[in-house]
Amino acid sequence: MTKKLDSFSSEDLMAKTAEEDEFAFEILVRRHQASVLNLVYRYVGDRTKARDLAQEVFIRVWRAAKRYEPKAKFTTWIYRITANLCLNELKSVKGRKLIQLESEHEDRQNTNFETHPNASQSPEDLLLAEERSRQVSDTLQTLPENQRMALILKRYDNLSYDEIAKIMECSVSAVESLLVRAKRNLQEKLIFFEK
Amino acid sequence: MKCSQVQKRLSAFQDGELKPQEQEGVSDHLESCSACREQYAEMEKIWQALGDLKEVLPEPGFYDQLVKKINERQANLFPVGFQWLFQFFSSPWATSTLLIVGILIGTFLGNILAKSELFPFQQNQAVHSQAAIEVFSLKAFDPIPPDTLADKYMRMASY
Repeated sequence: MTKKLDSFSSEDLMAKTAEEDEFAFEILVRRHQASVLNLVYRYVGDRTKARDLAQEVFIRVWRAAKRYEPKAKFTTWIYRITANLCLNELKSVKGRKLIQLESEHEDRQNTNFETHPNASQSPEDLLLAEERSRQVSDTLQTLPENQRMALILKRYDNLSYDEIAKIMECSVSAVESLLVRAKRNLQEKLIFFEK
Repeated sequence: MKCSQVQKRLSAFQDGELKPQEQEGVSDHLESCSACREQYAEMEKIWQALGDLKEVLPEPGFYDQLVKKINERQANLFPVGFQWLFQFFSSPWATSTLLIVGILIGTFLGNILAKSELFPFQQNQAVHSQAAIEVFSLKAFDPIPPDTLADKYMRMASY
């Protein structure tokens, strides 16, 4: 049964999920969990929060299954849910950011356990790579919310301006403008970042 | 293309979002202009540096935790023993049928009560009709009778 469902498109799996087919939902989650999790992680810069938010995305997918109409690509639809959730989450946590700094620090120390390991790297290289990753993450967090989201969708998911516009529910020219400003901001902030 | 035009389009050029003709124009300009070329190289360096951000892997128990959360939320929505209500009302057919039956019963009961003599509506209707007749029979617009208090008041007011 599971093997048969594996070949289904995400849109078809959603139709099955609407009929409360749990196997279909499981395949849908396993297919998209990494991309959703990484989008959230790059956006919020916190592993635990990213996992919780990614699960929240899939809870919404499960709830919306009966109302889902495949008007757009499934990835566009699920990324739109993710983007909205990230933007709303950030607004709600701004006030309690200071309290969370300590847990975020602990969280970063544990990030090694979940990132892709590279067997050919020495321990020193791994540490350096970890430090660079943390610096990039910290710099991304300094970008304004919409610029950050547009940049992540372009840089890491390689989406077109048109797809980003659909996800962020804005015009293509607005996406272009967001990316121009995001890149300019990064040039100022990552100026020290020499390879 | 001028430097100012190229610089405005450099970001879209980097993202491969320009039309072929414009993409070629920017590319030609970059070959001949060292200042714009340098700026583009800087942008590329930043773009590469962003690649240092590591990818995270979902934890093995991600799906199981998710299912647990869904079940917990569903259980919290209705107290234990009443989950069947959620199942029942989540079906649009059941809700529509319930609504139609409700309207039919309401109409039926309403008709019975309206026709019933026990229902005080008809008595009230009679009282309301009497009050309306009295209001219209006040003769408020008739001429004021002579040598009455009202007649004297109107005369004083007219001076």
